[in-house]
Amino acid sequence: MKHSVNRPPTPDAAEDQGKEPTLQEIINIKLIESGEKERLMELLRERLIDCGWKDEMKALCRAHVKKKGRTNVTVDDLVHLITPKGRASVPDSVKAELLQRIRTFLMSAAL
Amino acid sequence: MSSKINGHVSPQPCPHLLDFRSRNGPKPFRALHDCIRVKPPGGCAAIRREPSEVPRCGTCEESSRSRLYACVACAAVFCHAPLLHSHASDHALSIPGHEIAVDVDRAELFCCACGDQVYDRDFDAAVVLAQTVNATATTSTSGSTAMQCSVAGSQPENLRKRRRVDYRPWEPDSGEHISRGNQSIPLLDATNASLVSSTQQPWGLRGLNNLGNTCFMNSILQALLHTPPLRNYFLGDRHNRYYCQQKNGAINGTKNSRLCLACDMDAIFSAVFSGDRTPYSPAKFLYSWWQHAANLASYEQQDAHEFFISMLEGIHEKVEKDKRKSQSPGGGDCCIAHRVFSGILRSDVMCMVCGFTSTTYDPCVDISLDLEPNQGGSGKSSSAKSLNSCNVEADCMHPNQNGGISTLNGCLERFTRAEKLGSDQKFFCQKCQVRQESLKQMSIRKLPLVSCFHVKRFEHSSIRKMSRKVDRFLQFPFSLDMAPYLSSSILRSRFGNRIFPFDGDEQDASNDLSTEFELFAVVTHSGRLDAGHYVTYLRLSNQWYKCDDAWITQVNESIVRAAQGYMMFYVQKVLYYKESENQGTS
Repeated sequence: MKHSVNRPPTPDAAEDQGKEPTLQEIINIKLIESGEKERLMELLRERLIDCGWKDEMKALCRAHVKKKGRTNVTVDDLVHLITPKGRASVPDSVKAELLQRIRTFLMSAAL
Repeated sequence: MSSKINGHVSPQPCPHLLDFRSRNGPKPFRALHDCIRVKPPGGCAAIRREPSEVPRCGTCEESSRSRLYACVACAAVFCHAPLLHSHASDHALSIPGHEIAVDVDRAELFCCACGDQVYDRDFDAAVVLAQTVNATATTSTSGSTAMQCSVAGSQPENLRKRRRVDYRPWEPDSGEHISRGNQSIPLLDATNASLVSSTQQPWGLRGLNNLGNTCFMNSILQALLHTPPLRNYFLGDRHNRYYCQQKNGAINGTKNSRLCLACDMDAIFSAVFSGDRTPYSPAKFLYSWWQHAANLASYEQQDAHEFFISMLEGIHEKVEKDKRKSQSPGGGDCCIAHRVFSGILRSDVMCMVCGFTSTTYDPCVDISLDLEPNQGGSGKSSSAKSLNSCNVEADCMHPNQNGGISTLNGCLERFTRAEKLGSDQKFFCQKCQVRQESLKQMSIRKLPLVSCFHVKRFEHSSIRKMSRKVDRFLQFPFSLDMAPYLSSSILRSRFGNRIFPFDGDEQDASNDLSTEFELFAVVTHSGRLDAGHYVTYLRLSNQWYKCDDAWITQVNESIVRAAQGYMMFYVQKVLYYKESENQGTS
């Protein structure tokens, strides 16, 4: 059976069931459409580099790969490894700044 | 076939990728190329069918998952969180041939069956091309932010691979102590007061008389007299002028064969480091240089940079004549001038239509930098306009532009920035076989021992038939790290973890030495283009000295920082000996 790469997926049946989008969904879409999400992502990347978080995570990954061997590690392993530590070690100031930005955005977007 | 990512060999494709490639023709990811979108703030590549598409998982409908993958075979999007639920894996395992997917937010290929990233040369080439085109589009209009952010980033790791022994200052052992006491005479001694001035100036500081508008020559000579590798070479008797003259006299008795700029340099070194503090007249040297550069032989004011270049050429030519073999200057083995100053520049010209890149390497003895054309951060105001939110972007994007002052690092960044060649400068692309619009980017393949930066302050406009001098202040650091401007850094910082679409010997020759440099001499120009004066500032024993023709004075470093730099000389930090402060007062 030959699949065309350009064929868009068939419309989801779930949409017809009138499923209510959650608030999280709505906010996410608003963020993406206005381009704010990209800006926030870029800001977050900058902040996490500045405070050394990225280097810490990189070091963790390196250590893991050294232990396990280069060919025995997958991206999924690494994501699994650093996700809990990464989430826990984001500095509070960075969290606060991002939250403030999102709050400001939501107020201006008049949700 | 081994393909390289940043000099490392890329991992072999997994069986699913091989299978996919074999079933889908020579360019299996070509349909994805149209979906590559580059997002302005960061220059990151994403995959979207429509520019405004909000991808969501086909199974659970969530769009706010952190990892969403689009199946390359059927374009269906699924989320992937291996521990919780991976709808992407479900899809991959349920339909054979649908294991390969692409991360929609990172434009990276992924095998859902293996749970690992995979690489495809052509796909990465397309992403690189899209990112490049985007970066220059924003550069030409608003001053690229992505470029400046990532270039100022961290040091490449491959430069640190070689383990070096830590520097330890030398202390004589007992045997050396004894022989030192027996045979040596202290250099700076009360009994030698007749030779050494009472102000305890360092060795090698001697004024040079102005022989008639020759400050251009004096300023360069002062800088060269204190260029560590050059000074060591001549003081170490590596070019003995008596022996050289004798040899030349024997070969060919004519006057021209005795012309040797290196011999004249040797004479100046001997004179300047003799301990005699009275100003010296480099008349012989001037005469020799006139014979070498006949077109510049006059008492008119000359350009110091032109003199510098012509001098290095003169030293090189003489060596070539002697050895009768032409060595490439980039190799640095031909003569002392190139050994000290010669580096290699890499130039990449990339066709904007097909991505084919042609790389050339050229040796250079210095780098000429342009000053910014208009006042202040040209990128700052317009980038704030294009991002219509609060000033956090403007603040965080320009760490190098200190409120609009031009800096040496800023100039170097601009030097290594990718620039679009104008439509009148279309480059002939080998692949397309036709002239296409191209992108050119410079980077440094090999650092010299001594980096000379020349600031283009003298503008000669053939259009308006006039020349003018740019007095704009340029801030330069006392310590400089050249790592961000190396070829490996420039390429890596822009394209990250991709297989480069162009092949090139990625192994930097600069791996041997470090990338840290120390400033030791600054040649400054004051006045107008037709009536000006050159002065050199030298850094010896952590003190700055102003060399104004015959007058040498000690100055505060703040004077140097405020001076109008025309040529700045930096030496590799490992070759720069910071002498102790209390020299001569043991």
